[in-house]
Amino acid sequence: MPSMKSLPVIQDPATKALPGHRPLWQSVEEVARRRGEFAAGAAEAPPELSRRSFLQILGASAAFAGLTACQPPRDKIVPYVQEPKEDRPGKRLHYATALSFEGYATGLVVAAAEGRPVKVEGNPAHPASLGASSAFDQAALLDLYDPGRAKGLWRKGQALGFRTFLSEVQKLSAAHEADGGARLSFLLAPDASPLLAEFRRRLQLRFPRATFRFWAPIADDHAQEGARLAFGRKLDLHARLERARVILALDSDFLATPGDSLRLTREFASRRQPGEEMSRLYVAEPAMTLTGAVADHRFRVGPAEVSPFASAVAAELGLGKRSAPAGSPLARAAKAVAADLSRNRGRSLVLVGPRQPASVHALAHALNSALGNAGETVVYTKPVLGDAAPSSAAITDLARDVEAGRVDTLVVTAWNPVYAAPAATDLGALLARVPNAIYHSLREDETSKACSWRVAAAHPFESWGDARGRDGTVSIVQPLIAPLYESVSTVDFLAAFLDEGDKGGLRHLQETWRARTGLDPATFDREWQRWLRQGIVAGTAESPVAAALAVPPAELTALDPPARPEGLEIAFAPDYSVWDGRFANNAWLQELPDPVTKVTWDNAAYLSAETARRLGVSEGQVVTLAVKGGSLSAPVKVMPGHADDCVTLPLGYGRADGGAVSKGVGVNAYRLRTTPGAWRVAGAAVTPGKGKHRFAVPQGHFAMEGRPLALDFASHEWAHGEGGGELEHLRGTPPTAQVPVDYSKPDYKWGMAVDLSRCTGCSACLVACQEENNIPVVGAEQVAKGRIMQWIRIDRYYSGPAADPQTISQPVMCQHCETAPCEYVCPVNATVHSDEGLNEMVYNRCVGTRYCSNNCPYKVRRFNFLNYRPEVAPVETLLMNPDVTVRSRGVMEKCTYCVQRIERARIEARVAGKKIEGLQSACQQACPAEAIVFGNLNDSGSKVARLHDDARRYDLLHELGTRPRTAYLARIRNPNPDLA
Amino acid sequence: MTPEAAAAATKGPLAEAPLILGHPTDRQLNDELLAPIFDPNANWKKAVGVAAAGTGLLAVGVVVTIARGIGMWGNNIPVGWGYGIINFVWWIGIGHAGTLISAILLLFQQKWRTSINRFAEAMTIFAVMQAGLFPLIHTGRPWFAIYWLFPYPNTMGIWPNFKSPLIWDVFAVSTYFTISLLFWFVGLVPDLAALRDSAKSKVHRIAYGIFALGWKGSSRHWQHYRIGYLILAALSTPLVLSVHSIVSFDFAVAQLPGWHTTIFPPYFVAGAVFSGFAMVLTLMIPARAVLHFEKVVTVRHLENMAKVMLVTGLIVSYGYGMENFMAWYGGSAYEAFLFFRTRTTGPYAPIYWTLIFCNVLVPQTFWFKKLRTNLAWLWIASILVNVGMWSERFVIIVVSLHRDFLPSSWGIYAPTWVDWSIYVGTLSFFSLLFLLFLRFVPSVAVAEVKELNHELHHQAGGHA
Repeated sequence: MPSMKSLPVIQDPATKALPGHRPLWQSVEEVARRRGEFAAGAAEAPPELSRRSFLQILGASAAFAGLTACQPPRDKIVPYVQEPKEDRPGKRLHYATALSFEGYATGLVVAAAEGRPVKVEGNPAHPASLGASSAFDQAALLDLYDPGRAKGLWRKGQALGFRTFLSEVQKLSAAHEADGGARLSFLLAPDASPLLAEFRRRLQLRFPRATFRFWAPIADDHAQEGARLAFGRKLDLHARLERARVILALDSDFLATPGDSLRLTREFASRRQPGEEMSRLYVAEPAMTLTGAVADHRFRVGPAEVSPFASAVAAELGLGKRSAPAGSPLARAAKAVAADLSRNRGRSLVLVGPRQPASVHALAHALNSALGNAGETVVYTKPVLGDAAPSSAAITDLARDVEAGRVDTLVVTAWNPVYAAPAATDLGALLARVPNAIYHSLREDETSKACSWRVAAAHPFESWGDARGRDGTVSIVQPLIAPLYESVSTVDFLAAFLDEGDKGGLRHLQETWRARTGLDPATFDREWQRWLRQGIVAGTAESPVAAALAVPPAELTALDPPARPEGLEIAFAPDYSVWDGRFANNAWLQELPDPVTKVTWDNAAYLSAETARRLGVSEGQVVTLAVKGGSLSAPVKVMPGHADDCVTLPLGYGRADGGAVSKGVGVNAYRLRTTPGAWRVAGAAVTPGKGKHRFAVPQGHFAMEGRPLALDFASHEWAHGEGGGELEHLRGTPPTAQVPVDYSKPDYKWGMAVDLSRCTGCSACLVACQEENNIPVVGAEQVAKGRIMQWIRIDRYYSGPAADPQTISQPVMCQHCETAPCEYVCPVNATVHSDEGLNEMVYNRCVGTRYCSNNCPYKVRRFNFLNYRPEVAPVETLLMNPDVTVRSRGVMEKCTYCVQRIERARIEARVAGKKIEGLQSACQQACPAEAIVFGNLNDSGSKVARLHDDARRYDLLHELGTRPRTAYLARIRNPNPDLA
Repeated sequence: MTPEAAAAATKGPLAEAPLILGHPTDRQLNDELLAPIFDPNANWKKAVGVAAAGTGLLAVGVVVTIARGIGMWGNNIPVGWGYGIINFVWWIGIGHAGTLISAILLLFQQKWRTSINRFAEAMTIFAVMQAGLFPLIHTGRPWFAIYWLFPYPNTMGIWPNFKSPLIWDVFAVSTYFTISLLFWFVGLVPDLAALRDSAKSKVHRIAYGIFALGWKGSSRHWQHYRIGYLILAALSTPLVLSVHSIVSFDFAVAQLPGWHTTIFPPYFVAGAVFSGFAMVLTLMIPARAVLHFEKVVTVRHLENMAKVMLVTGLIVSYGYGMENFMAWYGGSAYEAFLFFRTRTTGPYAPIYWTLIFCNVLVPQTFWFKKLRTNLAWLWIASILVNVGMWSERFVIIVVSLHRDFLPSSWGIYAPTWVDWSIYVGTLSFFSLLFLLFLRFVPSVAVAEVKELNHELHHQAGGHA
């Protein structure tokens, strides 16, 4: 920096006096002006440490202090001399990778713009994705760019460099090696990764006496135990819903099964078209779930009544003798279900959820076996997780070891055990006693506080690795961006205990896979490229094993289910938004309306209206739930369709140190989960409290008020109306005074079709849309005020009796009306129609009168009432889709049919000299059920054009003459005539 | 015995009450009617203080709205319009009485308008000023709305959307305001000259002299003045009908049940006159007492206004009846649901029933002369009518929006402190302007009253 002295200072020429010359002045103003622009001495360099240089140093220190967060690249980076052909600004690059959830991978394709991932999409080649993606997968992107992520490597509050960390771990490992790792313990997240399995093998060789435990707050111990009871060994069950005509789900929310929900949703939806092959779903469950909401018959039973119901069905099928008292509605249901199951031998399926005891799982295996379903609608494989399957007991075993002082070094990669462990364990205090508790996590959380070492984990999108889908298919996880913060990937972290932490994930992976495949280097390189490109390693799925019952069915049916508990029972459930709590700091998911209850930013004690009445509590009232060993204050929410005499509490809320987003959201149901991994706790006492809680629910009214909105028909009613007679009055061009514009001339006429028969309401489309279109999150308070910004909403209506209603979900986004009511009322022409029929929103022109929204009968327009992006951390700007404007305050916005995708496709098609093909909107792309179809209505061969001609097609609010471009296909239910 | 009663007693029960009590001379009228300007009421300053403080609240509300956004209001989706537009329509409605009294009654040569027209015109202008504030601040980006709503030539070739009723509003309201202001000012000129001439200080003389535009009261002046005044009256007459018709198009042109109603234009105009007269009464009854205008603003004036309110109240009631009839007869399930379920039993039902009570039942008391001439009741009733008309706009705007076609998007609306600040603020600002008007401008058209006085004398002399 040049000294201030050398910098010329512009001076008033008049002040440059000659020696001996007294400057003359002409006016008072001139004298005033001559004082100079700068104070006297301002141009002089101050001697020694002046205020100025002090401030310079201070400023520089502050600026450089920020650099500590910058991680020097561990691998060599060679800058481009010539830009690679495929990487051009504005061009999207797609990379295949995979994301693990509860140990199972879903194959993804991530779109990157200018080197940053901006959109998560499903990998069509991956068997667990089939091109779709879940809300959790979509939201992973927000986690990646979360400014609140854990940063750096810390030991006892002291930052460690990566090298220091490695050498410290090396020293630690060497110390443990002496006694074979007897005082070394690992608490790991369940993961089917072959590379991590290889690491574990080598770790076990190095530390033969070390303990390895796998733990997750939500584990399916009962299913594993059930399989062991039935088959004598642990087996994974894979439902083949595309083959099943009759499905009985016993407290099983199979449409939300981790690792398998996308495939199961696709297969289930594929059989929901009216006709002979339409499937029928029976669900017996306490709280309404996604699966229960799409059931043809839903039996509202408490968690403890599922087992007697299952026994009754088994008894009807000639397995076992116990039966519910004849004549009760449940007995009648069991009889009808059993008859339906037996009519469809080999084409039926019984599924049991993780909340049910092992005996019910075993009984289901017996039923599937007796019905000839094994190998047909259900196949069994060796457990993909193998020894890495989570066990609920792990946490208590660990606590016992720590308490006994048997652990010097504890390595934790499992998610947040302190928060999710049973309250009585007081794991936080125990971990603080472990000299070296090393916690590897994406976020600072409750466990970070208790551990002496905190190691920031790299996001899966930043690291190399491998993973297996639920069917065993291996995917290579490749990084899409250099780590944004100082962090260590899981591979490097565990490799550190093998003294190989600096080898790099890629080398580990390649070495392991070269060894596993035994290919020569050239072939391996070719294969490796293919794996990366396709996102899967072909032929790695587990092959089905013949599973014969190890014991006679009679023995399984005779297994004693736990005694019917006394008093009120509390059932725990993973949450659709935050799962077990790991997504609690993800604002997209927090603001995602629960698919069933539509609650955002909250959980509640869900119970039936009858139970609420009996307990003398009302909606929103805060009650104290007390069980042996814990109590919790939670607001009550009445859930239509909930079983009586039980309460459902979603897990994952009420975080103490879960990050800024999760603060003060919901109540921590783990405090009542007094035994590890418990799904139910009986004998709860409810004390009504004083407080009143206001839920942020974007949809407050659940009855259709007799209006033809979300239409459904029973299959037998529909069959009578062959040719779509029922819906004739709800489609076609209604008579209007206006001469309709002819849209058949342009090449493209964009339109959408939403099949309500397929839609399960899972809400993946909402998050996909939020991600694609830079939609802001507004927070609970604004949601409660009616200002949620999501462009799609999933309307959920109830019909039938309030206690036990039927449910229907209807995604509603801008309908792109050909005669749009919003357009003619805008005073400034900010919303106009394109010649291809898009209802376009010109953000720059909008002055925000909100008249368009008032006149929109579908109320799909969203207004930026406040500046919903007040302060965006620099890292959050990386998240934005560069093709979509970030809207300012005071501007209206709404679904655009992903106009940016249309324009991108148009450019590509023009360059290629073809017509646009294969264009998908973001919601369509994410939808696992293929319920949303977007495309060109002027192309008669397109899927959307076919669906617009479907017999089930109707227009929402058809009689208003808006002529929407989005068509709905009525939902068909397939009830059992015997239960009518 | 009061002078009114004495006058009534001498003339018998069928005779009309007098428009001017006694036989004042021009000099007396001048002194009495200009007294508030030269000899202000002692409490004036206190009242101005209160009104100014309330106007400060308006400033706070507007600044908060512009600085933070419409999110500071209670508006949401589905209720995109709330207090902002309710108050806009309410104030515009109030602003209808002035022009009606000035222009239409002038053209119909209704003598009783003379004593109250100035007052009503001032009220119109001040009310339109309040109303004009809302369309601007209720937009999301007022800094663009302020000029994008006007058709100005620009290089982009973008024009406003002339199909949108909001654009019609811009023209209707700005025309109305301009004409009303001119009309008021032209009417003021002779009185300003009188003020100039009777001013006791130089400042007054110069100030009023400037605004008097050199008025000398010559026959030439009077001739031009008469013609000009009549032309302006003729221009404003259609505006009385058009402004609120166009405001009603904001709703009638939309397809929302409760808005999409063809009866809206006449029913809005009637409602506007209804509320305008109510507001004149609300202000006139106390002002008349405080400023000692009983001689020129007689009970007959007030009673006539009550009659107008009775008529317009009946038109409005007919409008309500017809709306409900059409909701049933039209066969639209959505409309029927709004009228027969949402309005009557929904969360805002109390406001609907307030509207029915205030706008339908209260004016029925004006069938009775006793109640019509009971100033206390008249004053209370006029306030009730204003409450009723405000409720009507609430019912039309919020109640229609909060439960429309898809029950999934139904919502609820609750105003915030900012909404209240702006509403109370405009009431205060209106009062402030009114107080300044009473203090600095003759609030009764002195010249016209003198003229009427002569006319009445002449008639009386002729009969006698």
